Amino acid sequence: MKVTVCCKVVPNEDEIQVLPSHELSMSGASWKISQYDLNALESGKKLAAETGGTVTALSIGKTEALGESKIRKDILSRGANELSLLIDNTHAFSDSLETAKAIAAALKDAEYDVVLCGMGSSDLYSQEVGIQLGALLDIPAVNSVTAITAKDGVLEVERTLEDCVELLEVPLPAVLTVSSEINVPPIPSMRDIMQAGKKPVNELNSDLSSATPSIKVLSELAPEQQERKMQIIEGDGADAVSALVSFLKTEVL
Amino acid sequence: MSLPSIFVISEDTGLLSELCVGARPLGEKLTAVMFGDKAAADAASCGADRLIYCPVDNDGAPEDYAGAIAVEIKKNSGAFVILGNSIRGRALAGLIGAALDTAVLTSVSELTPEGDTLICRRTVYGGTAQSSAVFTTPYAVVTVGGGIFGESTAALPPTADISAISGNPVRKIKRISRSDKLESAANLAGAKRIVDVGRGLAEEADLDMCRKLASALDAAMGCSRPVAENNKWLPKSVYLGITGVQVKPDLCFALGVSGQVQHIAGINKSKVIVAINKDKNAPIFKNADFGLVGDMYKIVPELIKQLS
Repeated sequence: MKVTVCCKVVPNEDEIQVLPSHELSMSGASWKISQYDLNALESGKKLAAETGGTVTALSIGKTEALGESKIRKDILSRGANELSLLIDNTHAFSDSLETAKAIAAALKDAEYDVVLCGMGSSDLYSQEVGIQLGALLDIPAVNSVTAITAKDGVLEVERTLEDCVELLEVPLPAVLTVSSEINVPPIPSMRDIMQAGKKPVNELNSDLSSATPSIKVLSELAPEQQERKMQIIEGDGADAVSALVSFLKTEVL
Repeated sequence: MSLPSIFVISEDTGLLSELCVGARPLGEKLTAVMFGDKAAADAASCGADRLIYCPVDNDGAPEDYAGAIAVEIKKNSGAFVILGNSIRGRALAGLIGAALDTAVLTSVSELTPEGDTLICRRTVYGGTAQSSAVFTTPYAVVTVGGGIFGESTAALPPTADISAISGNPVRKIKRISRSDKLESAANLAGAKRIVDVGRGLAEEADLDMCRKLASALDAAMGCSRPVAENNKWLPKSVYLGITGVQVKPDLCFALGVSGQVQHIAGINKSKVIVAINKDKNAPIFKNADFGLVGDMYKIVPELIKQLS
């Protein structure tokens, strides 16, 4: 089975700075693979192993995100056989359809049986790219996937909803968005990391002119910090606990 | 100015009614779309100008109607489409959005009228910021949670115009089976007090101690994402955070929670936050009203003792 896994490289949210104006500054933030795409990479690795297939990781983004070999090797150390990159510095990719159209364009001449996406990117978290990608490619798309089994040219997919679990038979090709509960992504081994440097990286030059935005972002601002009293006591003896009890009795109980 | 046409779509008829009441003042024409048969449609009182029902049988699913619903929406030259933020709601939204050649903004927390559109507010960067955006396309698709329009006691007249959807469902995916989950989804959204357990908890058996504290405080149990998803010590329905439940209790008592921004985003509307953590540099202390830096295994039993 030929598996393509979409991964987004995003700024590390712990390193995003909030300016006095409440606007955000990414300039000091390092780049990392979006958290939930690690689940998709791990799922892809397992599915390829079970079917004697291959994994192509696909990522689209700016030079500053994808240009360095460090991030490329990181992606390749997580089970992919090869990495396809589309470097684009003109699109903001602020919405799900713009992103889905770009991925569809990147996949135009690619061969795949299944495309895997993470639950949502850890920066904008639209949770819609996988579904919209399936619609654009006119192939089935399922979200919240918690188990995948290959069976005779179809996939038996477990989809976990809020109050029930569905078992679905999904014809191929298809797009599956995996839930973060599908697996716990392992830390790559030394061997994985060493081998990553030898795997091929293909730079695509797909035409992204059809990927136009549907929204206009008016602002992205850090919220007003709720003022917290921050009465912090160091200690875990009876006295410290009494102070806590006093606080609770005054403020809450 | 108001929106010429609003569509409210949900597989949850309670949510459908609530969203219709809230959306009513924002637009001229309000159309509700539900999933069920004519009897269910007659019973659903949603107060829209028009109610369309899509019959779904045991083998089918609401998502199969995405195409037919988009055709219906396109009879208007523009429309604002609102769905619930359930997993199914997001699947439907994505498919309908693609058919309308527009993106979807999910988990929208506020919709504010601006001219002939609505400004959509949602949380981004794991809770670090709020984004405000407007659609630039003729059709807009958003998913929202219950409570977005606040509490309304308005009663709308029942819908007179009830009809079945014109198009047919398209089924690409075969449903083999569907089983109800055994664990009931705890409703933390309305809890007044919550004991929030983090990775500082050493073993699953130690949850007993936390439950005793919750009992002494008359609180519900919640946790951080790793406790539910990695350790699986508590159900997914009670993990608090940007990808989990967002709560606004009177008291959030965080035990062994470090305070990552994604978790804080789930609890920062609490009236009072108390934190216990043995690491004095844990970010939770910047978000707490009261905190004790120490061993929770000493603090909690003593606390239970002093509270009883």
